[in-house]
Amino acid sequence: MSSGMRWDRRGKTLVMLALSVLVVAAVVIAGAVAEEAARTTALAERNGPPSVAHWFGTDWLGRDVLARVLAGLRLSLVVGTSAAVVSAVIALVLACAATVGGPRVDAAVGWLVDLFLALPHLVLLVLLAFALGGGTQAVVIAVAVTHWPTLTRVLRGQARQVVGSDYVAVAAQLGRGRWWIAREHVARHLVGHFLVGTVLLFPHAILHEAALSFLGLGVDPAEPSIGVLLAESMRFLSAGAWWLAVLPGACLLLVVKAVDGIGENLRALLDPRSHHR
Amino acid sequence: MVRGFTRSAAVLSAAAVVAAGCTGGADGAAGPAPTELRLAIGGESEEGYDPTLGWGRYGAPLFQSTLLTRDADLGIANDLATNHSVSSDGLVWTVDIRTDAEFTDGTPLTARDVAYTFTTAARSGGLTDVTALKEAVAVDDDTVELRLTAPQSTFVNRLVSLGIVPQHAHGPDYARKPVGSGPFVLEQWDEGQQLIVRRNDGYYGAKPAFERVVFVFTGEDATLAAARSGQVDVAALPSSLAGSPVPGMELVRVTSVDNRGIMFPYAPDTGRKSAAGHPIGNAVTSDKAVRQAVNAALDRRALVDGVLAGFGSPATGPVDGLPWHEPASAVPDNDPDRARQLLESAGWTDADGDGTRERGGVRAEFTLLYPAGDSLRQGLALAVADMLEPVGVAVTAKGESWEVIRTRMHADAVLFGWGSHDPTEMFNLHHSALAGTELWNPGFYASAEVDAHLDAAMAATDPEQATAHWKAAQHDGRGNGFGPAADAAWAWLVNLEHTYFVDSCLDVGEPGVEPHGHGWPITSGIVGWRWKC
Amino acid sequence: MLTALAKRLGRLALLLAAVAVASFALMVNSPVDPVAAYVGGDVAALGPQQRALIVERWGLDDPAPQRFLTWLGNLVRGDFGHSLTFNRPVLEVIGDKFLTSLALMALAWLLSGLLGFALGVVAGVRQGRAADRVITWWAYTLASAPTFWVGLLLLYVFAVSLNWAPVCCAVPIGVPAAEVGPLDRLHHLALPAITLSVVGVAPVVLHTRQAVVATMASDHVAFARAQGDRGLGLVLHRVVRNAAAPALLLQFGSLGELFGGSVLAEQVFSYPGLGAATTTAALGQDVPLLLGIALFTTVLVYAGNAIGDRVHAVVDPRADHRRWR
Repeated sequence: MSSGMRWDRRGKTLVMLALSVLVVAAVVIAGAVAEEAARTTALAERNGPPSVAHWFGTDWLGRDVLARVLAGLRLSLVVGTSAAVVSAVIALVLACAATVGGPRVDAAVGWLVDLFLALPHLVLLVLLAFALGGGTQAVVIAVAVTHWPTLTRVLRGQARQVVGSDYVAVAAQLGRGRWWIAREHVARHLVGHFLVGTVLLFPHAILHEAALSFLGLGVDPAEPSIGVLLAESMRFLSAGAWWLAVLPGACLLLVVKAVDGIGENLRALLDPRSHHR
Repeated sequence: MVRGFTRSAAVLSAAAVVAAGCTGGADGAAGPAPTELRLAIGGESEEGYDPTLGWGRYGAPLFQSTLLTRDADLGIANDLATNHSVSSDGLVWTVDIRTDAEFTDGTPLTARDVAYTFTTAARSGGLTDVTALKEAVAVDDDTVELRLTAPQSTFVNRLVSLGIVPQHAHGPDYARKPVGSGPFVLEQWDEGQQLIVRRNDGYYGAKPAFERVVFVFTGEDATLAAARSGQVDVAALPSSLAGSPVPGMELVRVTSVDNRGIMFPYAPDTGRKSAAGHPIGNAVTSDKAVRQAVNAALDRRALVDGVLAGFGSPATGPVDGLPWHEPASAVPDNDPDRARQLLESAGWTDADGDGTRERGGVRAEFTLLYPAGDSLRQGLALAVADMLEPVGVAVTAKGESWEVIRTRMHADAVLFGWGSHDPTEMFNLHHSALAGTELWNPGFYASAEVDAHLDAAMAATDPEQATAHWKAAQHDGRGNGFGPAADAAWAWLVNLEHTYFVDSCLDVGEPGVEPHGHGWPITSGIVGWRWKC
Repeated sequence: MLTALAKRLGRLALLLAAVAVASFALMVNSPVDPVAAYVGGDVAALGPQQRALIVERWGLDDPAPQRFLTWLGNLVRGDFGHSLTFNRPVLEVIGDKFLTSLALMALAWLLSGLLGFALGVVAGVRQGRAADRVITWWAYTLASAPTFWVGLLLLYVFAVSLNWAPVCCAVPIGVPAAEVGPLDRLHHLALPAITLSVVGVAPVVLHTRQAVVATMASDHVAFARAQGDRGLGLVLHRVVRNAAAPALLLQFGSLGELFGGSVLAEQVFSYPGLGAATTTAALGQDVPLLLGIALFTTVLVYAGNAIGDRVHAVVDPRADHRRWR
């Protein structure tokens, strides 16, 4: 009976995972298709509320808001992916180095983590975006190189557990080298945490990209991005154009939840012992 | 003094809108009219209110007074000055000042304060350029001599815009605690939020009708909300938000020289580089026929109606509506046939039938850059590309950052926006000596005749004479000039109308033609504003 | 005790030095021209000579290492430099603006802490029931929502549509400073503070819930139950104290997030605090102010963590053994 329940849960997790992946894939494809429509202006159809022709309404240049939202979400996902991957790789490398590199490297990594966590994350992002001169490229880099510290801590903690374990002690006694242990034991043990950690970095990265763009320090204002769309919407809120603000934000929320769903369900699959959520 | 300037029809219509106001005090505004005025016209000077750093370069400096002033017709009138004259070599400006002006701390304003202000402004790294000044000397208590390094007829604009500060009270905290001789006194400044000013009852000139004026520094959206809820009496809003009416307020449309136009790279593409290493020249736009064809093909009225929602006027040059504008420099537009004819006779034909003309292997195409994030220019650029396609000229509109535009502006067309009451701008944009300096004359336009007229206008000591030369630089009637009728160095597109919602009970007079910058310029007439119900 | 404090301060000093060097290196390498940003639309009226004057006024013509040394030297003497956009000493700007932000951040901090803790306790006690599910779902949704979007929604509903709240600023229009009452301020604070509290509430809910669930399952609650403790009394006496420790640690540790949120909330509500000043400084290429804000927020975050550790130790004596690092 208990095994049947476990399978139920596993099946449900798999279905949720598949659904989340499907949502994200659909957004990526639709975003690519909508890229052209997102930039097409139609001055005769300015500031239109949602209608059959324009489900999400139009903006002040008559551009279709749905197309802009889809294109923007795609950009969000691109930024999110690159940021999550880069940050996760940095975290993995640093965590492994800290574990096997001896106390000095460990201290240096800890120090680097502390330095990156010393500033509020958004302030750090602002400084980086500023230093890189703004624009899409600057945002991608800024978001990518600032999301690793917490994951590094988690991975380092996990790696320490492995290193402190009996089987590593045995391996060391058998004459295995540091790097062999790092590769065969530490890295293997970390793969699951690494994968889940990567996916869970995603939402943070997406939200931070949107925030920077919203402040005018991110993606070029001419590019469709959710942050840019919401910043533009502020100008027309008092004029009653609610659709410019409500719908893009709601879509971003859905996508972030979908990606979050992937991460959580993945975690549930890879590490059934961990608490759900 | 400049005379004989016919005000444009749009200004008159603006006045008509104001005069048609006054819907009566339906909202229970019984009793005496409020003596407080609330304006949401943006433009907070985060740096503070120090004229030597540029405060007051638009509109009135409020707290300080200036030597001269401009009336609504942009004519020059005395303010602190009682008389001014220019030496025959144009190097010495002698200004007599009134003796009854006092700073708000009770000390009299003397020629020494004027000399101090000009000297300080000339040396300070702020937003007012007084570098033409060699020295300023107080000859006696009420006479000051401003000695220049070179003749500059436009120096009069410094006399109009530079508020006089007291030498004895001008220190590091002056910008936050300004003392002046102007119509208002600073009462409170909540940075990032509002500026509250009180009437200066010791002011020597006509006193404002309001005891207090509050300037609210809100964003566009909050401004509209404040206007709707009746919290402000004047609200400056972009044309995109001026479409729907605001109860209890009238829409006032003010003509401006806040223009937008296409700058063409004028030099041919010979592989030349600027001093900073950026490429110069464009094989297509260096052909006069192409530039003239673009000028002829564009439907500027449609740009105004479509992109500006009707709040603007077609532009023919950089100084439309100003006393030194030359109407003969304009050409008829919305004439694609003439554009095609110009291109044909210059040898641009569409031999391969792809819709874009070519000549000697060069396709009639160019990139039109605009600052990314400027939605208005984006709209204009896209519409221009659409209008030029039928005549066989392919335009690629592209938004870029200013940093990128600066590297490409000698080789690609750029959608710029200018507009000033100071003809120095016209000089800077077209004089060959300034090619590649700052953002001036980025296209390397060069015409000996135009240079001669610009130089003569700058050196003139008689304003009438200066105006004649400014006009001739645009079009001299002999086929020379930078205007569309001759060299067509630019294709000017539109002049914006600055849109303000004004309380139906407030009479803001007849606002003059406003420069680039929407908001503060309207304050230049604030002393004359009145409640009318 | 004193040595511990000295150690902490030494660590902070080292951290500040590192932040200073790193931030300055970043700023110097920015490709954006601060003079062009300052000049803006006035470019037509200002010539090369005037530009040279501006460069000179800001000391931009010195080589970078020299500027860094000058800046560092002044910093040691307590001079953070001169803000370019606000034309006044950086420290004054930060002091003024932070005071405005402090009211906002403190209110939001209390709101998110109290609300989050209360909801977390309810969810934990009712684990698995409808209340738990609703609260947990809500917390996860909030965690996925962009702060500024929540702000925009609140702005649209309560300020634009219902007209209950002002659309901008920290004080009413046209009222002299002396006449602005605490209620006026609260009226202007409410929406931004609620928006900002959204940032912090979700983690508090989830961690508190976790702690409550763990405590409820613990021996000492079972013991209390066996002794006859039931219902609210049990929760208040046995659970809340245990669950308070992680919530407090989290709240003090989240000052950085709180500040980040205030940057966004202040942008949405045109609230003139340090968050808005950060945006203005970055958009206006105001390097001295940005550097000052970087250092200031470092101290803020560090102080938050240090206080959190102390408070945690007081509330939960076992804390020393459970330190993360």
